Amino acid sequence: MAEELIEKVKQLIIDALRIEGMTPADIETDAPLFGEGLGLDSIDALQLVVAMEKEYGVVVPDAATGTKVFRSVRSMADHIAEHRK
Amino acid sequence: MNCFMFPGQPLSHGTEWPDDPDFRAIADIVRRRAFFDLEGFSWIGTGSTDNVKLQVFGTAMSLYRFWILRRENTLPDFIAEHSMGIYPALAACGSLTEEEAIEMTFRVGVCLARMGETRSYALGCVVGLCREPLLAIAENHGVFMANYNTSRHFLLSGERPNMEEAMAEALATGAFSARTFPCDTPLHTPLVGEIDNELRGIFADYRYAEPRTRLVDHINQDCLSAADLGDFLREELQRPVYWEKTYRALRAAGVTGFVEVGEGDSLKKYNRWIDGEMRS
Repeated sequence: MAEELIEKVKQLIIDALRIEGMTPADIETDAPLFGEGLGLDSIDALQLVVAMEKEYGVVVPDAATGTKVFRSVRSMADHIAEHRK
Repeated sequence: MNCFMFPGQPLSHGTEWPDDPDFRAIADIVRRRAFFDLEGFSWIGTGSTDNVKLQVFGTAMSLYRFWILRRENTLPDFIAEHSMGIYPALAACGSLTEEEAIEMTFRVGVCLARMGETRSYALGCVVGLCREPLLAIAENHGVFMANYNTSRHFLLSGERPNMEEAMAEALATGAFSARTFPCDTPLHTPLVGEIDNELRGIFADYRYAEPRTRLVDHINQDCLSAADLGDFLREELQRPVYWEKTYRALRAAGVTGFVEVGEGDSLKKYNRWIDGEMRS
C-alpha cells in the first residue's frame, strides 16, 4: 500500500508540475525535492499543495508543515497517508 | 501564435558556460559595453554591485537564447517581458541592437545601484496569500506591491527593515512562503522616482526603431510603439509588473505557445498556475 501511494505521489508531481519526459521511475523516493534533488521551488510547492488537496483532500496548513511535507516523495506520501479523508 | 517571454533579473547564476560562437560573441559584447567578464563573473575595472552583475548576466543569457531560437528559425508572433526583461526584449523586437540592450542594462543597473548607497532595500517574494491581505500588509509597513505574478504569487519592494516586518506578518497571516532578497533599489515602486531625472537621461540617449514584432507591455498590456518606449522604460521601473494580466491578455489574443527566453523558468511556472485557474 505504501509503495503504491509513493508511485501515485510521483505521478502527481509529474502531472501537477507538467514535467515533460520524466516517469515515476526517474524520481528517487528519498531524494530532496528542493535544491539539489528535483530542483523545485516555492512556486512548485504551492502547486503541489493544491494538487494534494484536490486529489486526496489533504491540507498543508502552514509554511512550517510545508517544509516537513515537501522534504521528499516519502514525506509527502506519509503526510497523505496520515491525513487523507 | 507564439510568444517569447523575457524574464527579469535572475537571482543566481550558473558556473558552466556554453562553448559556442554565439555565447562567445555575447560575452564579447558584455566585456565591451558593460565592462563585465561573464565567464569569470567579475567586473573589468571599477564595476558595480552584485545585483548589477545579475542584471547584465540576465540580459546576456536572454540574448544568447534568443539567438539560438532565431538560428533554429523559431520566431515569435508576440514578445512579452517581465521587469528588466524589457532590455533583451527590445533587442529581440529590433528596437535596439544587442549592444545597446546590454549597455542599457548596465547603465540602468549602475544608476539604480546608487540608491542603495545610502539606504538598504529588499524585495520580498510572497507565495500563497491573495492580493487583498497582502495589500493590507504592504500598507501596514510602508512597502509596495512590485509584481502581481499570479493570484497567489507576489513580489513586495521597499526599505529593508520594513520589508522584514512585512514578510513576518505575511507568514503569520498564512503565507506559504515569504522570503526577502537584498536589492540595490526598491524596484517597481514610486521610490524609484527619486532618480527619475537620471533614468530619463539614460533612456534619451538611444534611438528606438519601431518594434518588428508586437511587444506587449506588462503595465497596460498594450503593444508598444517606438514613440512609447522612452516613457515606458522610466515608468516600468516605478510601477508594478502585472504578469497575470499580461499572460491572460496574450491568451485572449490567441497565443497558445509560450517560450521563456532567459535564465530559469519562473514565467512558465506562473503561467502554469494561471492556466490551472483558467480551467477551473
